[in-house]
Amino acid sequence: MSHPRERRNGLSRRDFLRNSIGAAIMLPSASAILAACTKPGTIEGGATGGGDGATGGGGATGGGGGVNLLAPRPDRPVTLPLNGMEPIPSDLPIESGVEFQMFNWVDYLWKTIIRRFVEQNSDHDISFTATTTFNNMEEAVAKLQAEEIQADVFFPTIDAVPKLAAAGLLQPLNHELIPNLQKNVWPEYQNPYYDQEWRYTVPYTVYTTGISYRRDVIPDSQIYGMENPWEILWDPTYRDRVGVYDSYRDTIQTALLKAGITDINTGEQEDLDVARDELLSMFDLVNPRATINGSYKRLPQGDFDVHLSWSGDIVAGWGYVPEYTRSYYENLGYWFPEDRLGPVDNDCIAIPANAPHPRLAHEFINFMLDFQNAMDNFSWVGYQPPQNDAQPELLTQTEGMYSQISGWAEPAEYVLPWMEAAVVRQSDFDVGYRQSPLTPEVNDRWNDVWQQFKAGVKAST
Amino acid sequence: MSRRRARRRREQGGIHYPRWYWPSFASPAIVWLIVFFLLPLYTVVSIAFGTVDPIFRTPLPVWQPWWWTSSHLLEGLDKTFGLFRQVYVRTFWYVLLSSAICLVLGYAVAYYVARHSGRRRTLLLVLLISPFWISYLMRMLAWVNLLERDGYVNRILTFLHLVPESVGWLEGRGITVILGLVYGYIPYMILPLYAFLDRIDVSVLESGRDLGANPLSTFLRVTLPLSRPAILAGLVIVTLPMFGDYFTNTMLSGSPSTTMVGNLIDDSINTPGQGPEAAVLILILMIMLIIPIMYYLRSTARAAQIR
Repeated sequence: MSHPRERRNGLSRRDFLRNSIGAAIMLPSASAILAACTKPGTIEGGATGGGDGATGGGGATGGGGGVNLLAPRPDRPVTLPLNGMEPIPSDLPIESGVEFQMFNWVDYLWKTIIRRFVEQNSDHDISFTATTTFNNMEEAVAKLQAEEIQADVFFPTIDAVPKLAAAGLLQPLNHELIPNLQKNVWPEYQNPYYDQEWRYTVPYTVYTTGISYRRDVIPDSQIYGMENPWEILWDPTYRDRVGVYDSYRDTIQTALLKAGITDINTGEQEDLDVARDELLSMFDLVNPRATINGSYKRLPQGDFDVHLSWSGDIVAGWGYVPEYTRSYYENLGYWFPEDRLGPVDNDCIAIPANAPHPRLAHEFINFMLDFQNAMDNFSWVGYQPPQNDAQPELLTQTEGMYSQISGWAEPAEYVLPWMEAAVVRQSDFDVGYRQSPLTPEVNDRWNDVWQQFKAGVKAST
Repeated sequence: MSRRRARRRREQGGIHYPRWYWPSFASPAIVWLIVFFLLPLYTVVSIAFGTVDPIFRTPLPVWQPWWWTSSHLLEGLDKTFGLFRQVYVRTFWYVLLSSAICLVLGYAVAYYVARHSGRRRTLLLVLLISPFWISYLMRMLAWVNLLERDGYVNRILTFLHLVPESVGWLEGRGITVILGLVYGYIPYMILPLYAFLDRIDVSVLESGRDLGANPLSTFLRVTLPLSRPAILAGLVIVTLPMFGDYFTNTMLSGSPSTTMVGNLIDDSINTPGQGPEAAVLILILMIMLIIPIMYYLRSTARAAQIR
């Protein structure tokens, strides 16, 4: 849905038909979820049985004050149902002579790291050919539902996790096989709010959502000196040079924050009306473009002066500049509120229920949570892993592996020193705003706002 | 009975064909139409009048017409005439301008190739078809590179002092989208025009000249009226896909200010919960496009009658 590597291409018409076919297949599972949703609080396995009488449509809205399985919040955590499934046994041998299969965003994991994983498991004669990719989370979920995809590991966003788990499309993890989570990963992820007891997911990357800008056009002092820097995306000075993400959650939440509304999961129509007006005025003032590659690629290339940005996008931006020199890198900047009161989030790794090689998948997850592997991957992908040993102060002083082996480029730190704001700290998660899953009804309302913005209809009419 | 059969046999040169023989030749096309047109169309209709999954928000087609609901249709119509009206108007203008440019440029090229290219005709035809060797996606990506601020287009324009400073072609401009559409679809205009102009009998033109018409009036009063069916065919072939095009716009602009109907449909398809609305928008666009097609079919039928 809202994702760093979200891409769109011409496939969507085909997907449309595919979705409609997939929908017919998943109908039974939906009623099971509805049944599950009617039970407030922690929802345990067994909820999938039958779904008799209790499947009233109102269940999904969670109106009764209980915890809504589909809309967890940091203060309303959910424990996802196990659906009668059990993790694989610890003594299961690693599958050998098989091909490891990954279902991921485009360019969201460095090939060098996968190659290393394959080499480390050469005893088991593992092979890997290519990642199966998806362009947006809806497409990925639809493919998993239709069981068109058989993958060992999958990279969901938080908002997809409850749905997938409730529908029985993910398998619970065996914690004994993933010791690195407890050993290396931030304590918060021992028990994340969207998946208590980390039954189905481990964190992959963490990022903030701020603004990337060209420092040759906008000096740091200017944007950091503004009373409300979100307003820079509405500044007519940069007309035609402003970008937002083609992702409704991120762009609408920016409009909310600009207007001073900090509940970025709001279901209030009043708030959404404010966001709509803000977006339409942005359209009038700056003729923004909605992109997916605007921040990590096209802003470094000079196509934009300012762009809504996930921190990981602009951290990876130096890899896309026209000249690989330090002086050119210096054109890239990132703003995030200095009090760190802004959107902060993480992505996950999970194992689909129908994974052909679940033991190998556990091995891979544990491998990705290893400090060195995670950091080397970070040096290429730009998205920071929530590793205890990745000390924030050192990230802006240490050169990453990708930079080291890139003969054509002048060295770059994990995070360029003048973009310290892009470093994600554990404390950010205490004060920042989490983008959490919305109930289907609220989600529809958000999409209505987005549709109006995307239609490019002038506010005056 | 037997006499009639004998007569039929005589008419067919003495060979007896069973009744199903000739119609069976159409069966591949009929199967094709059913599998790749009627079934998908019925799916779209079933989605438009169907519902969505309460949790995943994926469209659930309802196959039985007696269970159809019209709420999505009403909402779609409401938006078409309200919120989206400006998008339809914008799309109409873009397509009108693009197809007009296609026609003017395409006619000139087709006329030259058909009448005056001489021995180079085959080469020119191959060159005209050559863009099809590269995928549309690749060609659009190439344009993105060419049209960048420091791309070759801007470099040439500033070098020739045609513009004072580089133009932000890709910064959400309607003109770029229109030119992109022209580029993408002009071969479809040239080829039917060429095929038709090539077949115009030179003696018709000569008789026009003999009767005292100068070259201009020969063109206006002989060639142009004769090529009217080809012009209509070319216009139908280019405008129909242009109305549904969303990719050109996504690649060359990305700004809401240039959103076309195709983009609305594409966005709806990709938005959970808006599947039925996307289907409704598709149906509305189809109905709108049937009107020019009907006009085209009628005018070609009339032209055939005259002959």
